[in-house]
Amino acid sequence: KDEPWLVPRPPEPQRKPIKVPAMHEDLFKPSGNRERDKASFLNAVRSFGAHNVRKRGHVDFIYLALRKMPEFGVERDLSVYNLLLDVFPKEVFRPRNVIQRIFVHYPRQQECGVAVLEQMERHGVMPSAETEFLLIQIFGRKSYPMLKFLRMKLWFTRFKNINPYPVPRDLPQDPLDLAKLGLRHMEPDLSAKVTVYQMSLPSDSTGMEDPTQPHIVGIQSPDQQAALARHNPSRPVFVEGPFPLWLRNKCVYYHILRADLPPPEEEKVEEIPEEWELYYPQKLDLEYSRSGWDDYEFDVDEVTEGPVFAMCMAGAHDQATLIKWIQGLQETNPTLAQIPVVFRLARSTGELLTTSRLEGQSPPHSPPKGPEEDDETIQAEQQQGQS
Amino acid sequence: SFAKELFLGNIEQKGVFPFPEVSQHELSEINQFVGPLEKFFTEEVDSRKIDQEGKIPVDTLEKLKSLGLFGIQVPEEYGGLGLSNTMYARLGEIISLDASITVTLAAHQAIGLKGIILVGNEEQKAKYLPKLSSGEHIAAFCLTEPASGSDAASIQTRATLSEDKKYFILNGSKVWITNGGLANIFTVFAKTEVVDSDGSKTDKMTAFIVERDFGGITNGKPEDKLGIRGSNTCEVHFENTRVPVENVLGEVGGGFKVAMNILNSGRFSMGSAVAGMLKKLIELTAEYACTRKQFNRNLSEFGLIQEKFALMAQKAYVMESMAYLTSGMLDQPGFPDCSIEAAMVKVFSSEAAWQCVSEALQILGGSGYMKDYPYERMLRDARILLIFEGTNEILRLFIALTGLQHAGRILTSRIKELKSGNVTTVMETIGRKLRDSLGRTVDLGLTGDLGVVHPSLGDSANKLEENVHYFGRTVETLLLRFGKNIVEEQLVLKRVANILINLYGMTAVLSRASRSIRIGLRNHDHEVLLANMFCVEAYFQNLFSLSQLDKNAPENLDEQIKKVSRQILEKRAYICAHPLDRAS
Repeated sequence: KDEPWLVPRPPEPQRKPIKVPAMHEDLFKPSGNRERDKASFLNAVRSFGAHNVRKRGHVDFIYLALRKMPEFGVERDLSVYNLLLDVFPKEVFRPRNVIQRIFVHYPRQQECGVAVLEQMERHGVMPSAETEFLLIQIFGRKSYPMLKFLRMKLWFTRFKNINPYPVPRDLPQDPLDLAKLGLRHMEPDLSAKVTVYQMSLPSDSTGMEDPTQPHIVGIQSPDQQAALARHNPSRPVFVEGPFPLWLRNKCVYYHILRADLPPPEEEKVEEIPEEWELYYPQKLDLEYSRSGWDDYEFDVDEVTEGPVFAMCMAGAHDQATLIKWIQGLQETNPTLAQIPVVFRLARSTGELLTTSRLEGQSPPHSPPKGPEEDDETIQAEQQQGQS
Repeated sequence: SFAKELFLGNIEQKGVFPFPEVSQHELSEINQFVGPLEKFFTEEVDSRKIDQEGKIPVDTLEKLKSLGLFGIQVPEEYGGLGLSNTMYARLGEIISLDASITVTLAAHQAIGLKGIILVGNEEQKAKYLPKLSSGEHIAAFCLTEPASGSDAASIQTRATLSEDKKYFILNGSKVWITNGGLANIFTVFAKTEVVDSDGSKTDKMTAFIVERDFGGITNGKPEDKLGIRGSNTCEVHFENTRVPVENVLGEVGGGFKVAMNILNSGRFSMGSAVAGMLKKLIELTAEYACTRKQFNRNLSEFGLIQEKFALMAQKAYVMESMAYLTSGMLDQPGFPDCSIEAAMVKVFSSEAAWQCVSEALQILGGSGYMKDYPYERMLRDARILLIFEGTNEILRLFIALTGLQHAGRILTSRIKELKSGNVTTVMETIGRKLRDSLGRTVDLGLTGDLGVVHPSLGDSANKLEENVHYFGRTVETLLLRFGKNIVEEQLVLKRVANILINLYGMTAVLSRASRSIRIGLRNHDHEVLLANMFCVEAYFQNLFSLSQLDKNAPENLDEQIKKVSRQILEKRAYICAHPLDRAS
């Protein structure tokens, strides 16, 4: 009865197209019990050169090798890219006259060269002088791969450190460490203290009533602690969340403890204690202050959002877990015991759905409802890369 | 006072010109005293041993007591010497030959027992001063706490009134108390509960005289310090110490005023003390420079060495002049408020001490760095001068803000009219600006036929007048620009303070050198040289600072300074990449 085009059709069981094995695929086949690592990749590339003295089909081979690189964990290795470029025959594709130079000379090969550079760009690999030398040898100075190379040389240096809050390239695998990293990443105050309120227990420990005890990590800065101590106990504080935070390809979820902005009549005017004037006057008894014409500050609208008192990341997003966090916070913030805490948790976390297959695969130390859901292939790659 | 008038662009000649003098009678009296004291310090005090062992030998202390040095300013009826501020400064010059003794004595009488002299009642004076001035009891000043360095509001020590209202129960800890381990009498500042007139209770600071015999007083072990190692500095803990209500110094809740008076009154003496030290230093290094041969010539023949002696002499001369001018002002009847002047003396002399000792050490080269010579000890000892009795940073703010407050009160009506756009005032201001920019000569009456400055210092006096005039104008502009927000502009305040210190130094040397010429003192031509030299240097420094205070001056790097430090402090590290780093 539904409009057929409004409802997405249930996904048909995907009939995989009959895969034609690409050429040279067998070079990358795991041979025997060999690891899939850099050495075996280099081996494959070298054996292509050895078998193919005339380098027939080298473009196909390079495309294939580019696809295979992540599997072997060498996608960030400059020397491997240089070796791949080295597969191209030298001097053959260099334009030799004006007309060749005007029209794209050997377009398929040039595209392939650009593809190599593009993959380098995607993985943030900066080409080196050796790359330049190879490109000049293969395609000549005035060619598209060379142009691409120059652009990379120019922009990579400028964009490399553009992020003032860099995230480490290899994220920690342990969700606890990842949570600490994420919290530190969000907290601008360097004197903030990270506290582990609860360690996650391995799910296979039987005998416990609650075998799946999720980890709880929180962060609070001294300023936040002071602000919480000043908070009017008759006004509630809220636990809100979960909010997503992306660290490279991982998404973690955090909760905050916050309050509404106090009404203006409650704001206390800070009086300067007399003792501060012991050494020098803290304020001048004058009626006039800095005038508007001398004010070069931007006109900034203050955000009318309440103060945030603390943040946490937990293995589970239910109220029971977060209550434990609040209890932990009460030890360092005694006033929190008098303040009513309201939980405003989003019903659906908006998390990426977990496929049951991944759950089966997930390592035993991560909780079943673990917040970090990642692209399975990437995780697989990283494990490859680490091994 | 003189300094406050400078903020308005005026030079108040009363009390400054001519240079204050002491009577012949007083002078001969002090000279009788100075001789034996100098002998004692040069022959019997072994500063090196004091520094190495970290304490002053008992017999040295006994001798100091017998000389009466523990009660220099205590009135004679209480057994002290009852000397004036000027005479106190004179003795300080000699005592300063050993820094540890200076600090011990200063902690005892410049701050430790000063409270009793300033605000104590008759019974308290009669009870405590005789024993303190004889040195039988040593005093200490207990204000600083672990949580409060310069911030006296955060002191935690509490005094609570007992049930029968006869005692205060004192609890808390004080740190860095000079003489803390030796003292028998402590001036302690603690929070007490005070009921206001409207019935509300607040915590206010109260000063107490606490005897060690009251019980519950313990010391930490003496601190191991960089310099002044012979002085005793330690923590003092008070645990349920019962202090009788008679021992409240001043009023309950009035401790703040007491502390401020004590601190403000003690600062001027650093000028003469450092000058005494510098004079000794010049003798020592001159001896070396005239005997040490390099390249077949004496060190004294090299220009770069000669320059250092000129610098040391100039600094010594300026700070001496400032110190005795200030003490002379303080000795005038009516307890004049010279807190700004005293603070300026302290800032100038402490910084000059550090600079000069460093240069003196440099004259000796490698030898100066060795413990065989006294220079490294003097360098270590001099470092504390920039820190204690109010850090120089805080004193600069004090100097600038106190003066600006004064100027602001007087200029209020004018500035209000300017801000509201009163045509007459605006036109008048523009006219004044125009006249100034057309280069009118400033005459504040220092020179000329009836001038107070000697003609051989006329050029310098004109420079001072010009600086003072434009300083007054700049202060007005600053007040107009910032108003009360100037409290937050610390870089501006620093420059204002620097200019003022220079102006005060110029005034002091002009006044002193003029007097020396007129009464024909020995080597007054040398004084004229030093005075003129300082005035020229200070004049150009002032011009530079004044131009920096201009809003759009290219010399003014405040914005950049603030930005750089903000970026560093955000990351709490030096953030530049290493020079060897590569982009790829």
